[in-house]
Amino acid sequence: MGVLDIEHVTKVFESENGKIPVLEDVSVSVKEDEFLCLVGPSGCGKSTLLRIVAGLERADSGQILFHGQPQLAPTPRITMIFQLFGLLPWKTSLENVTVALEVLGVKEESAEETARSYLRMVGLEGFENTYPHDLSGGMKQRVGIARALALQPEVLLMDEPFSSLDELTAKNLRSLVMDLRRRSELSTNTFIMVSHNVEEAVFMADRVAVMSPRPGKIIGDVKVDIPRPRLSYLRDPIYFKYVDEVVSVLERGK
Amino acid sequence: MILIPIIDLLQSIPILGYFPVIILFFISLFHGGEMGIELSAILLLFTSMAWAIFFGVIGAVKGIPVNITEAAQGFGVTGLKYTRHVILPAIVPALVSGCTLAWCDGWFFMIAAEYVVYLGATYSVPGLGSYLAKAAYVYNDLNLSVVLLILITAIVLYLNFLTWHPLLEKAATGTYKPVLRIGLSGLGKLAVITPRIAPRWLRIGDRVHRPKSIVLASKWLKRYTSQEKVIALILSLIGIFVVMYFEVGKIPSADVFEQAFKDPEFLNLPMYVALTMGRLTVAYVISLGVALGMGVLAAEHKRFAAVFYPIYDIGQAVPILALFPIFFVYFSRLFGGRIGLETTAILVLVLDMIWYMFLNVVGAVKSIPSEIREVGRLLGFKGLGRIIHIVIPAILPAIVTGSILSWGTGWNTIIFAEYMPYEMEVYGGQPLELPGLGAYLDKTGYLPPPKGNPVRLLFLLGVVATIVLAMEGLVWRRLLKKFEKYRVEI
Repeated sequence: MGVLDIEHVTKVFESENGKIPVLEDVSVSVKEDEFLCLVGPSGCGKSTLLRIVAGLERADSGQILFHGQPQLAPTPRITMIFQLFGLLPWKTSLENVTVALEVLGVKEESAEETARSYLRMVGLEGFENTYPHDLSGGMKQRVGIARALALQPEVLLMDEPFSSLDELTAKNLRSLVMDLRRRSELSTNTFIMVSHNVEEAVFMADRVAVMSPRPGKIIGDVKVDIPRPRLSYLRDPIYFKYVDEVVSVLERGK
Repeated sequence: MILIPIIDLLQSIPILGYFPVIILFFISLFHGGEMGIELSAILLLFTSMAWAIFFGVIGAVKGIPVNITEAAQGFGVTGLKYTRHVILPAIVPALVSGCTLAWCDGWFFMIAAEYVVYLGATYSVPGLGSYLAKAAYVYNDLNLSVVLLILITAIVLYLNFLTWHPLLEKAATGTYKPVLRIGLSGLGKLAVITPRIAPRWLRIGDRVHRPKSIVLASKWLKRYTSQEKVIALILSLIGIFVVMYFEVGKIPSADVFEQAFKDPEFLNLPMYVALTMGRLTVAYVISLGVALGMGVLAAEHKRFAAVFYPIYDIGQAVPILALFPIFFVYFSRLFGGRIGLETTAILVLVLDMIWYMFLNVVGAVKSIPSEIREVGRLLGFKGLGRIIHIVIPAILPAIVTGSILSWGTGWNTIIFAEYMPYEMEVYGGQPLELPGLGAYLDKTGYLPPPKGNPVRLLFLLGVVATIVLAMEGLVWRRLLKKFEKYRVEI
């Protein structure tokens, strides 16, 4: 049993043109301290799976177990980073983080203190009072990361967190997430990321679960055994070996 | 270049405000009589209808995406071919929805246009509007008025759902922009007000739909600086004046100028402005509150939508000015003439303003991006906290544009609502009026001299236009700019 067990999850969307099966009997388990990446072609239901894990959507059948208990509704122990950042445009960087803490019942002053320290951690010192409108995409995602981590979750879900950023910014943010993960003071140690970028998945993850086109099934589970930090392995044949392996599973699923 | 600012400006003056000018023009052209009134009625209906179509078509042509025009150029589609294959298909939806809007607008003014008291004499052209007006004012018959109102509403609804709605549906396929829809309930699967509840993977990358009115209003506000508008205002006033000078000849004599500002009531003008603004403000606050509550509930809960959408469909189909005589007969029996008129005026204003707010609120709540909703749920916002932190800030821009539209239509209605020119026996054969800018404007327009005075009429119209433009520049434009940041970028 892992921290999170996804067991036989099936999901069907109803649309005007009838029923569309999105997920079909998906089972995957994430252990403590593990970084799992779900990779698959677009429309394969990987984002939907992540939302079911977060408690934002219900599975039609099957279940999610969090420490062995069914996980049905959003909980601060599992937070999420969004593709389009998910910041509230009417709140400053600081307010976006504090409001998340205040909803949990943290007092205003200590919430603000915590928020400031997390914004500093993601390199946003000096931008506390800036509105999302005036931040670059990369900076917005930094706020998103700070907000998610400030809640001190056990599991962090990431929904294509870098795919709406330019490559250079994405690279910096990937390294930032990896650096943060190594920090011992963070209670967050289990990560699930959704991506369609194989290189990104191999660079970041301990395990890459490969999904088939719709309806999504798990068709491969590749354990990435590259020492960390991996930045120095980006030109190494071992890195390309794993990339090729994931790509070939993807190809087979077509 | 010249046409658009002038039309913009004319649009910001309430149509009913320049109705007296039009009547004055046609009556002197035909030396009085029914022909003049009939033509004025048609011209009034035309001016009320033309804007929606005009702006719709302009917006559609401007809204053709650059990649389409570039592709057309690249494939050598130019000239007539370009018009046929690119421009025409692009404007058809706008044309249809513009015509629909125009048609609805037309019903609104029908009552005012068909039954006119001018220079102490009553002119009416036979029609449903004048029949309803007579039923209420002359016969003072509540039952007959209500029956007529139901008949008119039924006709409007019938035409909306059986003629316009299917046409809109047809036109809506293959457009670049969402098309406005007239009904929220019943038939139809247009994607404007209710972006289809699409599966998540279909929604990503999908642009957020906003009701067209919002897009139009905010574009319109951005187009000109206030200086340009003031210049256009002065130019068009001079224009109207020149037309009158040549057509009516006798008007701008020194006498008329002198009389214009000698009227004893003229000194009350500041008070009149305050009273009229007060009525509008009261009605606005009520509409805002009610529409906000109804709109949020309807957009978020299917059960409320099932109740509120049909109410909206019927409510916005009732020609507001046609409600006026009926409410008046009812309330004047209840409270007496003066208070009855005051109550009627405010109630009619509320019923007039509320639907613009409601439509904008519903549209905006519906188009809150799914990511923002998910963030709200993930962070644990519930109930009132969710409304305050997520829903209200997200719809603030729409509230501002709804407010602009509400005030615009409110000005039209107040000019009609403050003055009852009909000499009803029950009130001692005296016209009833509420002290206010609208009533003063009506009297200046419709009564014989020295009360009626074309120069003063133009002046008062200028006052109205100034107030409208000042509110726009000082209040709405600033708010819109402030809330611009709140728009979720997708």
